Amino acid sequence: MTAEVLEPHELPPTTTGTRRAANSLLGTAARLGGLVLAIALVMLFFAIKSDGLFLKTNNLLGLLRYMSSLAIVGLGLTAVLVVGEIDLSFGNLYGLSAMVAAVAWIEWEWALWMAILAAYAAAIAVGSFNAFFTAVVKIPSFVATLGSSTLILGFTLYVSNSNRYDPRYPPPGKPDVSTGELALFRGLANQDLPGKLPMQVIWMAGIALVFWFALRRSLFGFRLRAVGGNPTAARLAGLPVARYKWFAFLLVSVAAATAALLDFSYVASVAPDAGLTLLFPTFAAVIIGGASLQGGHGTVLGTLLGALLLAVIANGLAVTAAGAFAQQMLLGFVTIGAVVLDQFTQRWRTNR
Amino acid sequence: MSVVLTGLVKRYGPTVALDGLDLYALGGEILGIAGPNGSGKSTMVGVLSGETPVDSGVIEVNGQAWTPTRNTKVAVVHQEPQLFPNLSVAENLVAGREQFRFGRPSLTPDERLLVDDFGMHGVVDRPLGALPLSFRQRVEIMRGLLQDAAVVLFDEPNSALTFDESAELFENMHALAAAGKVVMLVSHRLSELAAHCARVVVICDGRTRVELSGAELTPERIAQELVAGIVVAERTSSKRDVNGDVALESDTWTHRRGAFRDVSMQVAAGEVLAVMGVEGAGGRELVRSLAQLEDATGSLKCAGRVEYVTGDRAGSLFSNLSVEENLALRMGSAYTGPMGWWRRGVSRSAAVEAKKRFGIKAADVDDSIGSLSGGNQQKVALAAALLTDPAVLVLEEPTRGVDVGAKADIYRQLHTHARSGRAVVLYCTEESEVFECADRVVLVSRGRVIDDALVADFSDVEELARHLSAATRADEQLTPAGSNPAGSKEE
Repeated sequence: MTAEVLEPHELPPTTTGTRRAANSLLGTAARLGGLVLAIALVMLFFAIKSDGLFLKTNNLLGLLRYMSSLAIVGLGLTAVLVVGEIDLSFGNLYGLSAMVAAVAWIEWEWALWMAILAAYAAAIAVGSFNAFFTAVVKIPSFVATLGSSTLILGFTLYVSNSNRYDPRYPPPGKPDVSTGELALFRGLANQDLPGKLPMQVIWMAGIALVFWFALRRSLFGFRLRAVGGNPTAARLAGLPVARYKWFAFLLVSVAAATAALLDFSYVASVAPDAGLTLLFPTFAAVIIGGASLQGGHGTVLGTLLGALLLAVIANGLAVTAAGAFAQQMLLGFVTIGAVVLDQFTQRWRTNR
Repeated sequence: MSVVLTGLVKRYGPTVALDGLDLYALGGEILGIAGPNGSGKSTMVGVLSGETPVDSGVIEVNGQAWTPTRNTKVAVVHQEPQLFPNLSVAENLVAGREQFRFGRPSLTPDERLLVDDFGMHGVVDRPLGALPLSFRQRVEIMRGLLQDAAVVLFDEPNSALTFDESAELFENMHALAAAGKVVMLVSHRLSELAAHCARVVVICDGRTRVELSGAELTPERIAQELVAGIVVAERTSSKRDVNGDVALESDTWTHRRGAFRDVSMQVAAGEVLAVMGVEGAGGRELVRSLAQLEDATGSLKCAGRVEYVTGDRAGSLFSNLSVEENLALRMGSAYTGPMGWWRRGVSRSAAVEAKKRFGIKAADVDDSIGSLSGGNQQKVALAAALLTDPAVLVLEEPTRGVDVGAKADIYRQLHTHARSGRAVVLYCTEESEVFECADRVVLVSRGRVIDDALVADFSDVEELARHLSAATRADEQLTPAGSNPAGSKEE
């Protein structure tokens, strides 16, 4: 084949071995390093502001627990953003799957394992619904999931009759759930490990590991990124684009159901609108973590750090008793700020 | 190795893009394909890359009927490569042919050798989106080779490349042909077609018009064939002398990103000036810079306001608005009353009058702009700019994709405007447009103005085409010795 050799001057200047490796590492490190720095600064601020209350072990463990459900859903959302789509329905799906489990278990007196299975079935149904309209009917996923989101909320209210469910106190006329099942279910999340580490943190770590493997060390993740990077090129290369979009929607749905069941297990009570407040912080965490709405970009570590930053902010504001309005305002500010900062660093990197 | 296309037909609604196209290409040769805008070239490229299904016709590769899903791949090197910008070079090479289930994509020794051959060793792990266009094109060629493509089709591949980069590209093309592949090159650059191709097929109106080879294969001859197929609209009388005041004057006008440099030119009031040049030569950027759409330094003096009409209608018209609203948009406060109140009556009657004056065929000025034909949309875009009576009107390819009748109307309007003491500057890629519309033509090659001629000095469009392509060729041969790969074939 062609044996022509490029003159050295034709190569971009920063391509010699070590420099190149350092460069690509530097890109990721600069972004994540900035995030770590931001987390440290915000923690320092709250530590001072709360006279050290923020740094108490109990508080930090609670912070990690809050971070866990954010991170679990966020990892699913990362997959959807990587494949170049968007999902607005996972918040209400979170409410639906917890409620399906609760109603089946408490109201319909199903066995616990069947109730949990029903929750996942609901999640898979919703994920497939979203994927069908996005990848087959080809309407924008923003519209499809905006619609399914409110559809799900309505359905959840219908199934639950707008009731709150608690397995310890079944509604009048219903028998108590078996104590064995109750203990088993509460044990999923509501038990402390050595060092009082919340169980949910272990779940998060395990799920993050699975996601990291799937996104970075498997054909699946590679193709997910290819499809998100350029769907046309992916189609021309013979990749099953629709199927990968479907996988991504399934991932976020299953992740939302998992987070919902774990939270239900921890607080032992579920309301139909439980997921309403989950939507924005999850998006914020994933975007802050470096996933892009244009598709093709997003990492597990970034999403974890994004979730940590949001958990620190939420917890810090609660500890300093700043009030809910401050949390809302800061959340918006931090999200926009992080993306603006990212755009600047990216421009700086390409202009060098 | 061979590719044979027989009787390809493709219609888009009432428009016939391919009208029974026949052509063949053999392994070992580079087949050139030329054709004016709208001749069906891009449709043919789409068909071979598998993006466009044909209505009828047969494609045979190595004597067997071929469909895009067959094993024999046709690799297309696009003007703007169809790749994954977020993935690294190595990952781009692997995508679609992955050999792993778990782990990370990696290159086989053979693939590494290919990467080295293409001089991409140092950038193999960099994200593709951060690399220059010439590198991305090389990745597209490599992808084709790795898919074991029998046919490699280059679609205007070097329009955005520097001279050295495109010399490199041609070396790659010749190497592919030498290895027995079928290589096809679609290009507007006639001298390159003549220099590098064994045969050149000229396509007009979706059909093969003529095939040139051997002694017949010269840039002048291709230029002549390209314009010969076009029905020349009635020539708008062009002036030999323009003695108006200077409407626009540039001095040491230089593009910030280097598309053109040191351009000093004058446009007289009352004159229609055409800026001609192939894609990538800098002419388009020069014309856009006159309307401040490109960053340039130096001095630029205008006698008044400059209005601009883009080449693609998407850049001039608002598809969600009506004809009247499109015509009103550039008028500023002319149609508004106190507190920004839009005087609908005034704007409506102005639109009705413009519809008559510009011969816009629409049932009503309230019609959505999208309901008009391409030619009439272009008239609306032109009318919207002309209604503001600019001192200088700048246009990019004003009749692209427009039928002959509408073309003549548009040229007439440009002339009327110029003769009222204004100046018109248009960017052209086709000689016929220059001949039919302009008083004077300025030829841009490799970022500089290399020729300036009065159109009235040419008796027909063939003569003009020969003159312009000879001038372009003379300029391209002024390159440093050794770096011109064209040298070998021209004795």
